[in-house]
Amino acid sequence: MARPASPAFGANGTPPIVVEELSKTYKVTDREGGFGAAVRSFFKRKFKDVRAVQRVSFQIGQGEIVGFLGPNGAGKTTTLKMLSGLLYPTSGSAQVLGYTPWERQAGYLRSMTLVMGQRNRLAWDVPAADSFLLNKAIYRISDDEYKRSFQELDDLLELGPIIRKPVRNLSLGERMKCELAASLLHRPSVLFLDEPTIGLDVGAQSRIRAFLKEYNRRNGATIILTSHYMADVVALCERVIIIHHGELRYDGGLSELSRRIAPYKIISVHLGGCDDCALESYGVVLPGEDETGKKRLQVPADQVPAITARLLAEQPVQDLTIEDPPIEDVIERAFNEPLRN
Amino acid sequence: MFQIFRRLWALNWAEQWQYRANLLMYLLFWLVAPIVYLAVWTTVARTQGSVNGLTASDFAAYYMVLLVVDVLTSQITIHVLAPEIQNGNLSNRLLLPVHPVLTQVLVNNIAFKALNLIALAPIWLALYLLFRPALNLSVLYLALAVPALVLAFGILFLLGAALTLVAFWTTRVWALWNFYSAVFMLFAGHFVPLALLPPLLQTIAKALPFSYTLYFPIQLILGKLAPQEVAINFGMQIVWLALACVIFRVTWRAGVRQFSAVGA
Repeated sequence: MARPASPAFGANGTPPIVVEELSKTYKVTDREGGFGAAVRSFFKRKFKDVRAVQRVSFQIGQGEIVGFLGPNGAGKTTTLKMLSGLLYPTSGSAQVLGYTPWERQAGYLRSMTLVMGQRNRLAWDVPAADSFLLNKAIYRISDDEYKRSFQELDDLLELGPIIRKPVRNLSLGERMKCELAASLLHRPSVLFLDEPTIGLDVGAQSRIRAFLKEYNRRNGATIILTSHYMADVVALCERVIIIHHGELRYDGGLSELSRRIAPYKIISVHLGGCDDCALESYGVVLPGEDETGKKRLQVPADQVPAITARLLAEQPVQDLTIEDPPIEDVIERAFNEPLRN
Repeated sequence: MFQIFRRLWALNWAEQWQYRANLLMYLLFWLVAPIVYLAVWTTVARTQGSVNGLTASDFAAYYMVLLVVDVLTSQITIHVLAPEIQNGNLSNRLLLPVHPVLTQVLVNNIAFKALNLIALAPIWLALYLLFRPALNLSVLYLALAVPALVLAFGILFLLGAALTLVAFWTTRVWALWNFYSAVFMLFAGHFVPLALLPPLLQTIAKALPFSYTLYFPIQLILGKLAPQEVAINFGMQIVWLALACVIFRVTWRAGVRQFSAVGA
């Protein structure tokens, strides 16, 4: 398994997040549909073990932003919930900032945050400003600190008048901004973000991304982020951890993942006056053309210079571009193919 | 801690105020039972002269005080907390470095109480003019009633919260709640003043916490208790408060553990 050589270390010499052999098995009742099955299960319940997370280990250094990827049900949220103290693991250990998360000590809860894109932490019927002030009291933020924190968040997120409207009247994008602000007023040094951009439009997504990057830069915060939007991952994470069926599949650089999983590039060519030029001899012709009529060839990365030269010499090339394979494809492959160590 | 309660108060007061129509409906629904008992018992006492020595005016006084004591000491924790447990929203509160029940839920109860008292005032006045209860209030007993009411609310709040926490294990917590409420109504002195219950039921009432949370404060305010009885009842309140603390603490720990075992 690829690991970054040395995660950045915190003040006391250990990385802020250390996870060892962490596992979580849920016991769920198992029964078929229908009345008969319902009656039977009333008398004799059958349980099934669901292994949500299996012996996952990793370390994350201070100030890192790590993308936590996997298909639905892979165990991402379960892991984040264990790390934020909401779930007891079945076995294994974790230390975050020197605390065991599920002991839920006040000192730990005061220095981390978990943001779930689909959950609402703000009081629904009153303006977000009221929830901010409550958090100020709960996290014991001094007046000066609060002023600075709020100013900074207002700067980055342009909260402006939206914090004075009742939360239930906000748009999804506006609410998400307020959620993030409320979760960060106490300047946590560890952030767990579960789908922070879910359901947002492209503009709002990119603003949230820019904000997270800037927050990370200013505060040196350590961030684990899950997202189904690859644009989030590409923009924020140099390192990704992939889990599938609860097992760790890859831990390393995003660009290295591309090289290992998909060691090929896409050459798009626009040919003048040639409908069927036997491009098969240069590489795998991908089905379809793009909107400008370009044909797309998939070629091994190490042969790109040679094939490009041949194409230019032998074909009436009007335009040619070389691209990396789309990140969605790479991730999709990483989920499905066993990785070589 | 004071800051937290101040902010929670502002927030909950504003929130409750948004639902004032809702709250008024709840209050009217809740008022039906005691007013019916009040009407029935005063009628019975009037036709018979008295019931076990209690006159129509005594019954009126009992129920008029009951209305106030019940608003001051009752709790609505199940309505606030059970849905949060069942839909998983409690997760959000568990992330905060304060106890969700002893902050958020507690203040929510108190805000609800405050609004209820305001709404009750005109209704209470109208009932007073209608039934003319024999209220001979003394400053001493009213002063003693303050700690009695605080202790009573403490007991009922913790027991109600502990019962609500059963929602961690089962979705049928409301059935349990209805049973608890029925037991409470009978043994607290809601249906009928406890002195009129058969001796066996009176003995059971003494073994349960509910008479100390409703019947005792009412009798105290009405000036019906000898000094020795007052002392014994305060003693029982303290014992029950301690027990309720333990019950709540144990249930909370086990419940959160359960919550986080099955998936918050």
